[in-house]
This record gives sequence, structure tokens and C-alpha cells, in this order.
Amino acid sequence: MGKDDLSTKKRRKLTTQTSNDAKLLPGDVYKRVVEFEESEAQIRSADKDACLFKKLCQDVRQIFSDVAELKAKGTDEAIEKITAKKIEASLILVALKKLNRLEKVRTRAGRDALHKEKQRVDSTHLLLQNLLYEADHLDKEVTKCLQFKSKDEEIELVPIKDFYRDAPAEISRPDITKTDEHQQQLARLEWELRQRRELAGVCSELVASKERVAAAIAAARSRLDALGPHLKDVLKATKPLQECLALRLDEKRAETQAAALLPPPLFLLYANAGAYSDVLGAKNVTVAISGDEDEARRQEQVTNEESDVVLSNDSDSDLDNIDEDLRDSKKKRHHRTAKISKEEKAEAKKKEVLKMHPLNVHVTVKNSDETSLNLVFSYMIHLKIVVVKFIMNVSKPVTGVSAADVLTGDCVLTELYIGDTGSDSPHPATAYLLNAAGISEPFSHFISEIGKPYIWAQRMCGLDFMTIVSGENKSNMNIQPCQSLSVTSVENFIFTLKKRLKARVELMKELQDLESGKIVPSKGFSCSLKLSGSLTQWQSITWHEYSQAPSTAHFISENLVTEANMLYRAIVTRQSAKLVALVAVCSDYPKKAPLFSLTMHWNGTHNALTNDDIRDIERVINTDWDPSAKVPCTLSSQIMKLLTCLDVLLESMGSPEFPPDKVMLQSVRGRNRMKPYKFLKQGAGVFVQY
Amino acid sequence: MLDKMLYNTILSQTLSPCGKYLVAGNIYGQIAVFDLDNIFNPVVELLTSDYNKPKQIHTLESGSQVCSLITTNKFLVVGTVNQISGWDWKAVGHSKLGKPSWTIEIRPQVQFENCDINCLWCSEDEEKLYAGCGDNIIYVFNLEDGRVIHTYEGHSDFVHCVHGNGQQLISSGEDGLVLLWDRRTKKSHNKIVPHSNSKVQRPDIGKWVGAAALDNDWIVCGGGPRLSLWHLRSLDVVTVFDIPDKGIHVSLFHDDCVFAGGVSKQLYQLSYAGDVRVELPVSATTVYSALLATQPRKVLSIAGSSPEIDLCTTFNYRDQVLHFR
Repeated sequence: MGKDDLSTKKRRKLTTQTSNDAKLLPGDVYKRVVEFEESEAQIRSADKDACLFKKLCQDVRQIFSDVAELKAKGTDEAIEKITAKKIEASLILVALKKLNRLEKVRTRAGRDALHKEKQRVDSTHLLLQNLLYEADHLDKEVTKCLQFKSKDEEIELVPIKDFYRDAPAEISRPDITKTDEHQQQLARLEWELRQRRELAGVCSELVASKERVAAAIAAARSRLDALGPHLKDVLKATKPLQECLALRLDEKRAETQAAALLPPPLFLLYANAGAYSDVLGAKNVTVAISGDEDEARRQEQVTNEESDVVLSNDSDSDLDNIDEDLRDSKKKRHHRTAKISKEEKAEAKKKEVLKMHPLNVHVTVKNSDETSLNLVFSYMIHLKIVVVKFIMNVSKPVTGVSAADVLTGDCVLTELYIGDTGSDSPHPATAYLLNAAGISEPFSHFISEIGKPYIWAQRMCGLDFMTIVSGENKSNMNIQPCQSLSVTSVENFIFTLKKRLKARVELMKELQDLESGKIVPSKGFSCSLKLSGSLTQWQSITWHEYSQAPSTAHFISENLVTEANMLYRAIVTRQSAKLVALVAVCSDYPKKAPLFSLTMHWNGTHNALTNDDIRDIERVINTDWDPSAKVPCTLSSQIMKLLTCLDVLLESMGSPEFPPDKVMLQSVRGRNRMKPYKFLKQGAGVFVQY
Repeated sequence: MLDKMLYNTILSQTLSPCGKYLVAGNIYGQIAVFDLDNIFNPVVELLTSDYNKPKQIHTLESGSQVCSLITTNKFLVVGTVNQISGWDWKAVGHSKLGKPSWTIEIRPQVQFENCDINCLWCSEDEEKLYAGCGDNIIYVFNLEDGRVIHTYEGHSDFVHCVHGNGQQLISSGEDGLVLLWDRRTKKSHNKIVPHSNSKVQRPDIGKWVGAAALDNDWIVCGGGPRLSLWHLRSLDVVTVFDIPDKGIHVSLFHDDCVFAGGVSKQLYQLSYAGDVRVELPVSATTVYSALLATQPRKVLSIAGSSPEIDLCTTFNYRDQVLHFR
């Protein structure tokens, strides 16, 4: 069998090899065998060995199956054959072992080769990484270079067009620069440098000339100053002459000097009131200036320095000024005392805002009977309003409590013009200014301290706030004093005040009489002469007392009587009947008649709201005044009338306590049972209803 | 001087036949015309602050009061002093009141004396006009020609009030008498004297009787004496109303109720037994006029010594206040 041949051949070969090796030393032999087998493994093809291995395995399997067959036969022959087959199988196994070893060697060689290859790849990769890093670094350097900026870029240069036009050719070098941008830049820089140098030269020249002019001015001023003493000497020399001729030139001059320092509104007032005093004579009106002139002078200097700002800006500048002043004063104080308490600071702020001009104008209005009212006008620098304080001078001492009240300055000036109570600032910006200065109280809080800001006072000084309130031009808050307004207001005011003074003196006399129980009606007043009732009390009362009385409710609700009125209580009695009249005299008296509110105590308490008879009497006294009679409705006449009405009412009641002694056509008439309150001068005088 | 209108006193009121206008007359000789349509059904868009003021105020004659007002189908009849005038209702709403359509003059006998037309009452058939006057006489006029038909003389002082029912007429006066007249015989056939009745009298206020009204069976009257209900046939006092007034100027019957007002801050509605049904607060110090109408519109209008007129549509509370000023 072919198979067997091949296996034998092999076996032989193998045995020969082993026999050769056996002769050598065991170590050497091992080495050599290893070397041999390694070389053999390289020479032999692995694929062929694999085929051989498979074939040998097949052979072994074949032998095993043959043996199994033979064993089953169990014959001797078969035993023999089995022995033969055993040997054959052992040989094949040796060959298999050999193949196995070869395979092992080959595997190791392959692994080594793989390892070597891997190491090579690693080193190459490392190299690559290094190169990439280097490239990146270089890239960064390049961008850094590209972003570099030079100083010259910040300099504002003359535009290129102007540069080529103005610069000389040796600097501009258009042939090079027009093409080379860098050169162009250099040329422009050079041109810039040269120009700047030239300008610096011009500047220093101008400074020098200015100094020269200043020196010239100083020289001129010193000459003028030297002239002053001379003039003073001349003035001094004229003094004896003035005294001799009784001229008041000096005083006038001093006052005019002071007038120049007045703030514009007060100056207007001074000028106009002065003119009226000249025309009407010092007996009627006198004008004077008082206050600290030096302080005024200092202040004027300060304002002159700041005037540019003030003139150019709107009302906000006022605030700025205040703030500045405040800051200044704060700084000054800061040097002296390190710490200032908060209260002091607020106090200083308040003072600053409410600061008045150091100069005041005194206007004194005199009446024919030597009663005079001295008005002191002051100007509030920051609030820009005029406030008035006043002193009343009465010629004769006034007896009577309520009469004296009528002539207090406060009372005389109440509502001199309708609605002008002087209880709040007429300037719309005041509240804002106060707020801005951190003052929480309203302006009216300070009035008792600084004086009253009457609207007529503002108008006399030519300040008209109405126009601001009504006008849309809110931004123009800087009020310029108006000349014509001041002229007309001063005239109007002087005459109104004189009239008011006269009326008040008359009222005072009337009240004096009433307080002593006398009633002197004005001439031409027609009434029955026999009056049975009498005025037993006349005194002034407070608003609280007046408003608490039930009989006055309808006047107060109709707003006919307010707190500004002068209030009195008159008590008229006749036997057991008592009539209490609460009288409200308007500050405009006698233009507006006093209002009577009546309460009668007889047979119960009656007033106009509960009894028609009292209501009728009130109607007669408060409304029935014949305008054609041309008799002014005075307080005394009204009280006279009240007494008459009371008599008529009581006598027409038919009570035996009050026997009728007045002639009445009908004691009661009409469905409303009206009593005859109207007096007709017919015969002895008759009372009729209407 | 004060505006005299603050002390305005309204003595009389009447309603136009159409119910549109309320006319009020005051002591200054003025009549005010209020447009009730506008007051009760206002057009909201056209509503002004003076909607409760008169549409017109006409001054008839200054120096004399408008004492009484009454409406006939055609005319507004105004009683002032010495004169009764009639205006066509069409002219009343206009802005200018022209001359009256007719006038009746009453000449008093004595010089200086004037005759107030204190009260007007018109018979149901509108033929006769009864006028209670200041010269103690009740005049009866023919409305067709204005002639005096009769005079009823019996009072010794001026007449406060005249009211009639059927063939009976009642009048009350300052002399404290309440007289009952027969319209057929033209004679006073009965009288009551409240101030002599101890239950009714109030000597401290006076004896005058300011108001009297007649029903089929009852008489209500009051003034200085208390408000009291009398039986018509027996002339006995049946109820003395206990209300805190200081004089009665208005009393009338309506719907089994007595309405009464005067010197008091309330207008009272009382049952015949004397119970107070409603107390209506009023603006006036003294109520001189209470106009009660159910046709053509239901309204109670109360006026007196105040520029304000109180209007009630339900008779139970004050709806609106008009201002005559």
C-alpha cells in the first residue's frame, strides 16, 4: 500500500536524523536539534504540514477501526495483525509529534515578527505628533505677527486728499507714496509732526501777547484806583456847602448806591414806590432801604461770577447753585469741625434755601390820621419770591379788645385782593425746590418766620407767576421782573391799602362804640327812634366757637363765612328775651356787608333753621338793603335794624310782656304770617310787611 | 349783600295739566318752572349739574309775594297781591313770560291795605274760582268772564285756606275760625272754633288756623291749635294728632290718610286714628305747600321756607331735591 510506503520512508528519515544527533553531547544535541528544527520549520511549508497532519490522523483512525474489527474476529491471525497494526500506529504518532513541534516553532516566530512591527509603528506615530505640535506653534506665531498694531494708528491724521494738497512735495513724495501704502503712512506722520510743532509755536506766542495786554490793563486799573481818593476829597470838600444849602444829596446818593445792589424785583419796587412817594408826598408814602450793604456787595460779586451759568441755564441752575453753595459751606465747615451732625446739616440746608437777600425795601403807607402801615419787602434768593412783614402804627391807643384786633397788620392785609391770603407761595416751583433741598415741610410752615408771600407783593415787584401757571412754556421758569406790571400794581396797591386802612380805622371806631354799648348809625338811616332792646354785649369770638353754633351751619356750608372773616358775638336783650347774633365781618368791609346769624332765647331757643320769624329777621338784615338809598350798610346800621326787628317781632307776638308801641298796619300778614319788619316814613312812621 | 335767594320761601306750587311742569311761586314775586320729565327721566348724556334748578324763573312783580297758584285745564292761575292772573300753559314753558291772558283786580276798601290772594280753589266743573283773601273775604269768580259772582263774608281776619268738597266749602282764617259754607245757599251754616277746645288749643302758638280740608265725612284742620280730625255732621273732635309741630300750614286727605306739615322738620302721614304712618323729612323750616298729585303723574312735592323743594314719587321717602335759586 502506497500509504504504508510513505510512512515507512518517513520513519526512516526521522530515525536517521535522531541517530546522528545522538552522537553529539546532550546540550549541544539539544541546541542543534532546536536549530535544526527551527530551520526545518522555516523551510517546510506550513500548509503542506497541515495536510500531512490530517492524513496521518486519518491513518491512525483507520488503524484503530481495523484493530477494532480484528478484535471482534478474535482469531490468532487477527492478534498478529493487531500487533503489526500497533507498531504502525506508534510510528504514525511519532510523526504527529514532530509535526506538532514544528508548528510550535512557527507560531513563536510569527509572534516575534508581529511584536517587532508594532514597535516600529509606535515610534513613527510619536514622530508625527511632534511634527503636528510644531506646526501649530508656528501658526500661532504667525497670527500674533499679523495682529500687531503700531502707535501711529491712534493718531488722527489729516485726510489723504488734504495731505496731498497741503504737504510740500519733499514730504509727500507722491511718486513713491501713491503706490506704497507704508511709505504714504510714514509721509503723513511726518507732515503731522511738522504741523504740530508749528502750532505749538503760535500758541506760546499768543500767551505772551495776552500777558502783555493783562499787564497794560492792570496798569490802567491802578491809575483809576489812584483817582478814587481824589474824588472822595472833592466830595468831602462839598459837604459844608451841602449842609449850608440843606441838600440831602449824600443820603440820596447812599440810598441809590444801595438800590443798585437790590435784586431786580426789589429794585423795581423801590423805583416805582419811590416815584409814588415823590408824587404823593412823604405824608402818604415813604420808601427806604435797609439791611447789610457789605453782605449784599459780596453776594453780588458771587452772583456775577456765576452769572454765566445762571443766565444760560434754566431753572435747574438755581438748584445747582443751591447745591454748590451747600457743598461749599459744607466743605468750609469740614475744615473747622471734623464731624457735623445730621440735624445741623439739615438745618444749614434749610437756611440756605430760605435765604433772603440782605437788603430789604421798607414801604410805609400813612393815612391822614397818622395811622400807618410799615411793610418790609424781602426777596428770597433761591425761591425767587417776595415776602412781606408788616408793622402797624396806630396814632391813638385803641380801647376795646375786639377793636384792637381789627387794626393788627395781619388782619388789615387779609384778602386785600380776593383770594390773596398769603398763606402759600405763589411760585409753582417752590414746592419742588423745597423738596429738592430735602425739606419735608410745606412752604406755609415757614411763613410765620419769614413773612407772607402775598400775590400783590409779587406783582408790585413785577413778578407774575400766573403767566407761568397758565402758559404752556414750562421750561422758561426764570421769571424776569416786568416793568409795566410793577408800575400798575404799585399804584393800585397804594390806593387799595389806603382805602382799606381808612375803612379799618372807621370799623375800629365803630367796634369801640359797640363794645361800650353805643350804637351810632350812619346818617340818613331811617328807623323808628324808640328802641326798647339794648346791646348788652359785644365781643370777638373764635372760628371754633362760630362754627360750633347750630345757627351758622348754612353759612358755612354755602362757604359764605370762612376762617378769614372777623367774627363777633352781639347779645341784644329786652326783658326776658335774649337775641344772640353771631356776626361775620368780611375783610372787605364795608364793601361787603357783615353777615348776621341769629339765635333767640325766648320761649325756647330759636334760630333761622327752626323758626321762620328768625329767618325773616335774618333775611331783612342780611339781604334787604336798598341800594338806591346810598347809605353804606354799616355794622351799626345793621345792629340798629336788628334792634328794630326784635321789637317788632316781640310786640307782634301779643305777649303782655311786650306792649306794642309801634304803629303796624297788620301785625301778621299772609299765609306765612310775616311780621312787619319794613319801616315806612309816613307820619310818625309805620311798619309794614313789604 | 347776600343773595336773597338763600332766604327764599316758596308759598305755593302747582302741576301743569300735562304733568310735565312743576311751577312754584316765592315771596319775591317770582315763579319757577321745573321740567319734571327731565328730572325724573334724565337723558344721561345731556345731564348737567344744574338739572335740579328751574328751567325758567319768571319775575312777575317784585315787592309782592306769589301767594297762591292753581291749575285749570287751560290756564296757570297765579294769585299775588290785589290781583289774580291767568297765563296760558303753552306760554309758561317759554323763556320769556309775556302778558297774562287775563287778570282780575281786587281793590281793597281801605287805603294802604293790600289784599293778598292767600288761597285759590277751583270747583270740579272748573266754572268757579274761589279765592280766600287778605281782606277777610272769600271771592267767587266766574272763570268765563272774571266777574265776581258772590262774596262769602264771615271771617274777621285774613283767610288762610279754602277747600271744597261737593256742595260744601270750608275755610279757615287767622281769626281762629273754621267756617263751613253751603255752595247752594252761599251761607255759612256751621263753624268750628278749635282754639276754644281745650284738647286742641295751644295758646302759646296762637289761635290761627293755617289749614283745613274736607272729606265726605271728615274735616281736618290745624294751625296754632293742634292738628285735629273732626266729624263733619256732629262737628265733634274725633282725633287730636300728637305730632311735635309748632304750627300747621298744610293739611289734606289722601287715600284714608291725613297729610300734614308746617313748622316742623317732617311732613306727617297719619291714619284717622292718630297713628303716624310716614314721617317724611323735609328741607324747609316751615312747610307752606304740599302738592299731591296722582294724575297725570304720581308726585308729592313739598316746599316752604327754603330754596329747596323735596320731591317724592312714592310718598314714602325723599327722592329728589330741587333748588329754586
